[in-house]
Amino acid sequence: MAYSDKVLDHYNNPRNVGSLDKNADNVGTGMVGAPECGDVMKLQIKVDDASGIIEDAKFKTFGCGSAIASSSLATEWLKGKTVDQALAIKNTDIVNELSLPPVKIHCSVLAEDAIKAAISDYRAKQSKKAPAEQTVA
Amino acid sequence: MTRDYFEFLELPRNLDIDPKDLEQRFYAFSRKHHPDVHARKSAEDRAQAEEAAAILNDAYRTLRDPIKRAQYLLKLEGFDIGEQGTKDVPPELLEEVFELNEAIEESGKGEALEPFRVRFAGMQGEIDTELQHKFAEWDRARDRAILAAIRGLLNRRKYITNLIAQTNVPD
Repeated sequence: MAYSDKVLDHYNNPRNVGSLDKNADNVGTGMVGAPECGDVMKLQIKVDDASGIIEDAKFKTFGCGSAIASSSLATEWLKGKTVDQALAIKNTDIVNELSLPPVKIHCSVLAEDAIKAAISDYRAKQSKKAPAEQTVA
Repeated sequence: MTRDYFEFLELPRNLDIDPKDLEQRFYAFSRKHHPDVHARKSAEDRAQAEEAAAILNDAYRTLRDPIKRAQYLLKLEGFDIGEQGTKDVPPELLEEVFELNEAIEESGKGEALEPFRVRFAGMQGEIDTELQHKFAEWDRARDRAILAAIRGLLNRRKYITNLIAQTNVPD
């Protein structure tokens, strides 16, 4: 099965590979995986506290070309978005952009899951922080 | 054909299967459904026997392999084991697999991977032993929680198999 040019581009030149400090309050980490294909995907977002905008996104994926491309594309799209806008990213957007064939749709699902997991991790950290601030006020 | 492979071979839905017994059943049913036995029967009978022989082959191939057998039973019992089933992989497992992947990536190729091969083979052996225990437990207790544990072990095993394959990549 041939990969689309866009998949190959992301595979050969993955964007935003790396990691952010997972212990930082404004960093959300999502780790997801698909045992059937042996894929693991880590995706992280760093949110600017004042504006609520995602200022940085990093990923590291062990898996097939489509899984790498899906998460690479996801990090590109995440940067500059608010958390709510990021939640609106759908796996079908990734499928369309990368022209993924039906057998690789689960890779885009994985990327969407990773985004959601990173955001929920970020929000969990924020809500843990909030009560402490209230007691100060 | 609505009978599942266990029913087809007149077996209870057990996971701890004696391979000798399974083989004997396979041969006995093979004789029963053999085309020669049905050669003088009606076309309908022959077609049925042919279909039964095909199912028998699939049944034997599936149930003879402990991993395939467990996957098949999980599916029968309503567990979703497709590729999309990503949600309930425990985070510890993902962390572990991620770290192992990173370690492989950093170690280089060829001989450097030998320690990983040994380690992964050991892990797979442990998983198989644990599966064997869970199989026996399921046969005794018929508790769905046991099946959930088996599914978890199968997921972990699949990841380890995949890691082993990566250590076998030529330089």
